[in-house]
Amino acid sequence: MTGNSVLKQVIVALAAWAACTLHAAELRIGLSADVTTMDPHFIAAQPNLTAQHHVFESLVHVDERGRSIPLLATWRTPDPLTWEFNLRKGVKFHDGTGLTAEDVVYSLERPLAITGSPGGFATYVKPIVAKQIVDRYTVRLKTAAPYGALLQDLAEVMIVSKKAATGATGADFDGGKAALGTGPYKLVKFSRGDRIELARNEEYWGGRLPWDKVTLRILPSDPVRTAALLAGDVDAIEHVPSADLAKLRARAGLKLAQAVSWRTILLHLDQGRDQPPGVLSKAGKPLERNPFKDARVRRALSKAINRRLIVERVMEGLGLPAGNVVSPSVFGHDPAVKADAYDPEGAKKLLAEAGYPDGFQLTLATPNNRYINDEQVAQAVAQMFSRVGIAAKVEAMPLSVYFGKARGGAFGVTLLGWGTLAADFALRSLAATADPGKGYGAWNWGGYANAGLDALVARALGTVDPAQREALARNASALAARELPFIPLHYQVVTWAMKSNLSYAARTDEFTFAHHFKPQ
Amino acid sequence: MNAAADFARDRIAVTALAVLALILFAAFFAPFLSPQNPYDLAQLDLLDSKLAPGARAGAGFTYWLGTDDQGRDMLSGIFYGLRTSLAVGAISTLVALALGMAIGLVAAYAGGWVDALIMRLVDLQLSFPSILIALVLLAVAGQGVDKVVIALVVVQWAYYARTVRGTALVEKHKEYVDAARVMAFGAPRIVFRHILPNVLPPLIVVATVQVAHAIALEATLSFLGLGMPITEPSLGLLISNGFAHLISGRYWISFFPGIALLITIVAINLVGDRLRDVLNPRLASHYSA
Repeated sequence: MTGNSVLKQVIVALAAWAACTLHAAELRIGLSADVTTMDPHFIAAQPNLTAQHHVFESLVHVDERGRSIPLLATWRTPDPLTWEFNLRKGVKFHDGTGLTAEDVVYSLERPLAITGSPGGFATYVKPIVAKQIVDRYTVRLKTAAPYGALLQDLAEVMIVSKKAATGATGADFDGGKAALGTGPYKLVKFSRGDRIELARNEEYWGGRLPWDKVTLRILPSDPVRTAALLAGDVDAIEHVPSADLAKLRARAGLKLAQAVSWRTILLHLDQGRDQPPGVLSKAGKPLERNPFKDARVRRALSKAINRRLIVERVMEGLGLPAGNVVSPSVFGHDPAVKADAYDPEGAKKLLAEAGYPDGFQLTLATPNNRYINDEQVAQAVAQMFSRVGIAAKVEAMPLSVYFGKARGGAFGVTLLGWGTLAADFALRSLAATADPGKGYGAWNWGGYANAGLDALVARALGTVDPAQREALARNASALAARELPFIPLHYQVVTWAMKSNLSYAARTDEFTFAHHFKPQ
Repeated sequence: MNAAADFARDRIAVTALAVLALILFAAFFAPFLSPQNPYDLAQLDLLDSKLAPGARAGAGFTYWLGTDDQGRDMLSGIFYGLRTSLAVGAISTLVALALGMAIGLVAAYAGGWVDALIMRLVDLQLSFPSILIALVLLAVAGQGVDKVVIALVVVQWAYYARTVRGTALVEKHKEYVDAARVMAFGAPRIVFRHILPNVLPPLIVVATVQVAHAIALEATLSFLGLGMPITEPSLGLLISNGFAHLISGRYWISFFPGIALLITIVAINLVGDRLRDVLNPRLASHYSA
């Protein structure tokens, strides 16, 4: 036997082995943030939801463009206060028991019983005042007032098995005993901070899926995630870092999927208090009044920001300049509202008119591990503020510290990213006058208060007809763009990178679902 | 033979000392040597961000070492970063030295339960990795130069306390101390006027090495995002900023500050090693190789 034929045999063997491994169809995905629990009703954090959506499903789902679509149920509204959901028949939980109306009612009540959550799902089920089981496959939900956003709320609440979840603890979900959903994948192993192993649900109602086995790897460090894809340790990654975009795009054997995200990056300006922290005269003395209470100052700050330059240089194309509270594909985006153009002279003029010809100083607080290039964006904004005479400092910290401090009122100017399915939703959280009882203004860190905007948002949310509701939501968006309760910076563009034999429909809501990856 | 001449016999140490002098010069005169003030946001231009070494600035000068993602000149950034690193290293070392020395002397001279208490505290402190202690402190106290210095002092004082106590215990039983006691001098006078000068040489050696350690620790903390504010980057933060750009081939953002940090630490260590040999001939005869 010659050396050459040995080599040929080796190549043939290797090819056969490669074909086999392809056949075994495992998909390994690098995720960008840690998943803290597999209990789908504990905390409404996107990284957790990403993993949980593989195992559990909700009544209503959201398509890649952010519109509500039926998942476990179809619906109709016999009257503005009643929503009737008809469950899909033949759906089974992972333990073989069938999905019934009882499981649905149980799952809609469970979030209210969860204690100790830093941000749970109660908001999403609170509008429901009565739940009625009509028959095994029909549930009727009542709201106290007409509430158009119910579908979007329900998309957040996953359906668990009443039998498995009753009395279950977080550890029971993490260990898999209670993590029995109806979803396309069964939980095999949850290793916090490392990986989540999933196996195909062979009896999935939605048909046979291409992947036998799915591994979600937790790779929070950007360069590490990119390196894992380049080295072939994973088949796809979410949230491709902007710095590596060009490299991955040019690399043979890899491809990208991109979409404008639902997430808007914005600045909250503290208008509620008289002395916002860090907002001082140039000499470091307290100011006589809070400059942010003056709409001209807010507009001046907005005009001082060169959004196009931030998008091009800092985001390396992973953004679109923003004027609206929500990005173009999201419900309630007003296409007539444009991002403020860069106008440093106009900004200086407005500042002078408002009584700050020499500017003032401020400290801009930002997380440094949450949004795409968050601390770099904050620094660029500070640079631009300083060009119009506002001495800006930047304080960056990890998300875990940042949210607590920001909620506690430790900062005068804060950077926040907000992703949601509708403009009226976003404004309810970000700009409506804070009212914990109604669930309004939960993220209104600026302390903005405008009864007109509150009323408009309430009217939009109370409108069940989607077309009418969208018109009202657009009006609210336009009002916010005129008044600037916060300053929108840009809409994020979200990117996935994968081996070129895969495809993924890039999602507005930034979610990464293994079952939506397709082999080519 | 005097110490300076003795030091000069080692060419490597002399070279290291010269390099160190250059670094100190660059750090001290950073505002005059730098084409840009990298801490003044108004002087940075996002249009000049991520330029390769040798590119021309919009303002007319050349970015010899390139720019980072905010359009910060890396050369200026390194000069100012060295300033921060060296200042933080030196100040924290001096404070820790003074504190550790006082505590160590008290322990050695007082003896008994005071000594036991202090030394158990030192043992406790030294049993934790210094980076862990610093991380916890900064997480609790927040960011800022002052807090980094405090964290470094807390991490370092125990080394000095232990070194001083060991040497002072030996000195305490020597005849000159007995003589001082016989003359009825007070304890403070004996400790600070008589024992202290004799425990200084080993301390100087420990301090030199600890400066390098402090600089490295500050760089680590900044790299982890817990040290300096991001608009006033020290070397560690500059390296950390460039980390994300390594795969994309923009090596200069991390590489040059990394080299600067490496050279600084190696130079200080070489000088420190030589000082140890010079100031402690006994040690030199045992360990010179």
